[in-house]
Amino acid sequence: MYGWRGRIGLLVPSINTTMETEFWRTAPRGVSVHTARIAGGRHGTPEELRGMESASKQAAKEVAMVEPDVVVYGCTSGSFFEGPEWNRKISEQLSEIAGAPTVTTAGAMAACLIGGGHKKVDVVTPYVEVTNERLKQFLKAHGIEVVTLGTFDMLDMFDHAKIEPGEIYRKVREITTPKAEAVFVACTQLRALEVLDRLERDLGKPVYSAVQASAWQAYQAMGVDPGIADCGSLLRNLSEPGAVKPPSNGLRKSA
Amino acid sequence: MKQGSAQKDSYRIGLLVPSSNTTVEPEFYRALPANVTLHTARLFLTEITPEAILKMVGELEAQSRLLASADVDVVMLGATAPSFLKGLGYDREVIARIEKVAGKPATTTSTALLRALRFLGAKRVVLGSAYDDKVNAIARGFLEANGFKVVAARGLGMVDNLAVGRLGPESAFELARGVDQANADAMVLACTNWRTMDVIERLERELGKPVVSTTQVSVWDALRMIGYRRELPGYGRLLRSLAAEDLLAAVA
Repeated sequence: MYGWRGRIGLLVPSINTTMETEFWRTAPRGVSVHTARIAGGRHGTPEELRGMESASKQAAKEVAMVEPDVVVYGCTSGSFFEGPEWNRKISEQLSEIAGAPTVTTAGAMAACLIGGGHKKVDVVTPYVEVTNERLKQFLKAHGIEVVTLGTFDMLDMFDHAKIEPGEIYRKVREITTPKAEAVFVACTQLRALEVLDRLERDLGKPVYSAVQASAWQAYQAMGVDPGIADCGSLLRNLSEPGAVKPPSNGLRKSA
Repeated sequence: MKQGSAQKDSYRIGLLVPSSNTTVEPEFYRALPANVTLHTARLFLTEITPEAILKMVGELEAQSRLLASADVDVVMLGATAPSFLKGLGYDREVIARIEKVAGKPATTTSTALLRALRFLGAKRVVLGSAYDDKVNAIARGFLEANGFKVVAARGLGMVDNLAVGRLGPESAFELARGVDQANADAMVLACTNWRTMDVIERLERELGKPVVSTTQVSVWDALRMIGYRRELPGYGRLLRSLAAEDLLAAVA
């Protein structure tokens, strides 16, 4: 069966065109990605973001059929918008439906920043103001202060994928200050994965992205070292000895 | 890429897959060129029975809309039985339903299979599948109603779709070798959850005739429809033919 090391059930907003691509292009042999789409609009309004919580249940049912080892709820704003409790609820209900541990992008964002010991970070997003405020509150609830937030300020979520990697690189360089210990690029529709390595070298501090953090938690949950050397330190460090722990016997379905 | 019309630097294929399919996404991804990305939506299916498939096809509209929202260039129903279930013309009926809601060009695995066999000039085929006798008979009937003579047919007798995904590619190789007939012009391997892409080249050498698998024809037809016109090596004669001059005329 494909995905003998691990099968990832990936739930993406229906308009998302970036996350499947970045997951597939970094998946090592033996890991497969199986996608289901979350119904919703393309405008990222509060109503739409809240509606994704309910629509994601159907997508989890669909992807459950491949017997995934982990499920990824792949939307940053769709998981942080109503705060940490809401995010936890999404994760728990999808785990229940899919019969596999579920990571959310917002949860992965908090986990990688906390894991890195960062208290002050800069953030780049494509979001409008109301969503940016909610992002700051979510991180604050996890003890993390946003020093500077740079935004592309676009309501249309489909269009976020049209932002070129080079524009993301320049935006991060433009807004970050020495006060921030790290930078997080939010939104799974932003093509940030390919500029992370370059940014970390040029800025001399960790730079994370929504897709990268989601993949990081997914590989950890599966107990799989993905051997991804060129998508930032976060993923590269999974190849350090002892960084991933194989799940206790009998838990993995893919084998 | 396509001559004449406005050129894009990247293309998106929208793929509808049965929810329990674990094979077609990895096989598509591995075969696709770097400037073509794959975007999937799932239709709920556990068993390959006519009843379960009909129910699954009921979700076509909702899932096609989700793919349309990702602005894909083509929608492919990457499932074999669901696109031939009701015989002659059923695949075209399904295409019309997808196109109506998605507003995008659509195709199905069964449509792609017919086009591929016509393009290769095959008249007499051998059918190997993962299916049980009931679904295999429907597959045979669909090919014959569309003008192909099925000189031999054999299925693995499988109903549980997830279990089909667990079969190794050798099962396709062995079945094809066992069922092939000297007087057939082509070998057809049916079921997109059956791992076939790894054995096509080897089978073509062994049997001395074109081998078409339902995953391979789906990749071919989707690429053809977005105007991809380069050879794609490693998966048999059909995917190498994408650069052929007569490609469009052959499937018109």
